[in-house]
Amino acid sequence: MKIEIDWTRCDGHGLCSLLLAENLTADAAGFPLIHTTEVAPSVTRHARRAVASCPALALRLEPSRPH
Amino acid sequence: MTPALPDTVAPVAFGSARLLAGVSGGVSNELVRHRSVHGPPRPRDLATLVSEAAAVRLLGRGGAGFPVATKLVATPPGERTEVVVNGSESEPLSRKDRTLMVLTPHLVLDGAVTVARALGTRRVTVAVHDRESAVSLRNAVADRQRVEDEPEQIRVRHQPARFVSGEIRAVLEGLEGRPAVPPGRRALPSQRGLRGAPTFASNAETFAQLALLVSLGVARYAEVGAPEEPGTTLLTLAGDVAHGGVVEVPTGLPLTALTGAGAGPLLVGGYHGRWLDAPGDLVLSRPSLRERGLPLNAGVVARLPAGTCCLAEVVAVSTWLADQSAGQCGPCLFGVAAVARGVVDLLHGRAAPQVAHRLAGLAGRGACAHPDGTAAFVGTALTVLADEVDLHQRRGACGRPYLGVLPVRDGSSR
Repeated sequence: MKIEIDWTRCDGHGLCSLLLAENLTADAAGFPLIHTTEVAPSVTRHARRAVASCPALALRLEPSRPH
Repeated sequence: MTPALPDTVAPVAFGSARLLAGVSGGVSNELVRHRSVHGPPRPRDLATLVSEAAAVRLLGRGGAGFPVATKLVATPPGERTEVVVNGSESEPLSRKDRTLMVLTPHLVLDGAVTVARALGTRRVTVAVHDRESAVSLRNAVADRQRVEDEPEQIRVRHQPARFVSGEIRAVLEGLEGRPAVPPGRRALPSQRGLRGAPTFASNAETFAQLALLVSLGVARYAEVGAPEEPGTTLLTLAGDVAHGGVVEVPTGLPLTALTGAGAGPLLVGGYHGRWLDAPGDLVLSRPSLRERGLPLNAGVVARLPAGTCCLAEVVAVSTWLADQSAGQCGPCLFGVAAVARGVVDLLHGRAAPQVAHRLAGLAGRGACAHPDGTAAFVGTALTVLADEVDLHQRRGACGRPYLGVLPVRDGSSR
């Protein structure tokens, strides 16, 4: 799976960077900085929690492109 | 010297005039004249059109430079399929699409009709930002229906809009009656485009090139130009260049042939483009420029004259870019504005330590190419103009006036 951010929805609440620190950190204004979009299987649960917790519904999990 | 504004001069072909055949004097081709220059419409089935586009490695002429054959293959054919001609030329320096749509509208429409017939649809829409193109295209459509009884219902939509509204997904939003800004979800128009239907959308020049391709055939089309991107391309040249305005040139020319003698910093790819010290050994074709990290985007090449304060020119454009953010995405809205303020600080000789950090914070963080394009424009400008920035830091100014060579009015909404 990989994470996708809808930047038109994101308001920089910053919850995702707390719940999915493996992939994201927050900038000074709270907007996420993506370090890697690919979500490791071991943190999928954290990723789903981050998606569910986004107050702006801006975070999604999408299937990775088949190679 | 006075800055050359591209819309004051007639377009010129360096070498063979193809797109501009019959119109390089600035007189437009009406239908009868168009047919005598380019011949009748030549239908192609989809497989043939795809193989011809692939044979000449035709790339989209809007910004992304995507292979046309790949896009055609990815668009499911059928009566519901939509063909959208993007003539929404929103780059302030660019005039090439308007030049085509005003001077040779039938070539653009021939290309659109060829694609529509190959895809088995009659649904064709042309979206433009400016009134002149809309009038020219509407007259052309009426002539075709009256004289040739053309079965396609070509809609011409005039939607004045801002810089980021020229991107195809923003154009589609506008055509559906919503604000013409890029949507947040990434969906390919070929799969889910206008009104949810599969949509083949490309830039106005791309369609004109397709019309030329079927009219000339692969061999003659590829007689000129570089092997990696045969044929000609339209460019808009501005500032301290040998000939300012819209030119049609065979690909593969050395960039110096277009810029002429002169020492000012060079901008390749318009306001989402990149700055260079000098043209060096660069060769004009999308693949070869991209290999050197220089997307040609909509084909704008500009050089600043020696007499202007280059940093002030960059300030004017960055401030305009900040104003052009659709304001949808936080990192772009705040980031581009912060970058623009930083460049203003540098102009006045104040330190702006936050700029590098702010530029890095724009990368990949938006629904469209605006933050990345802005970062490319400002980032490369500050590198190329390092000496000038330093001069401003030490003396507070460089002593040269601001000439306004790079226009920042929205040329589209006149």
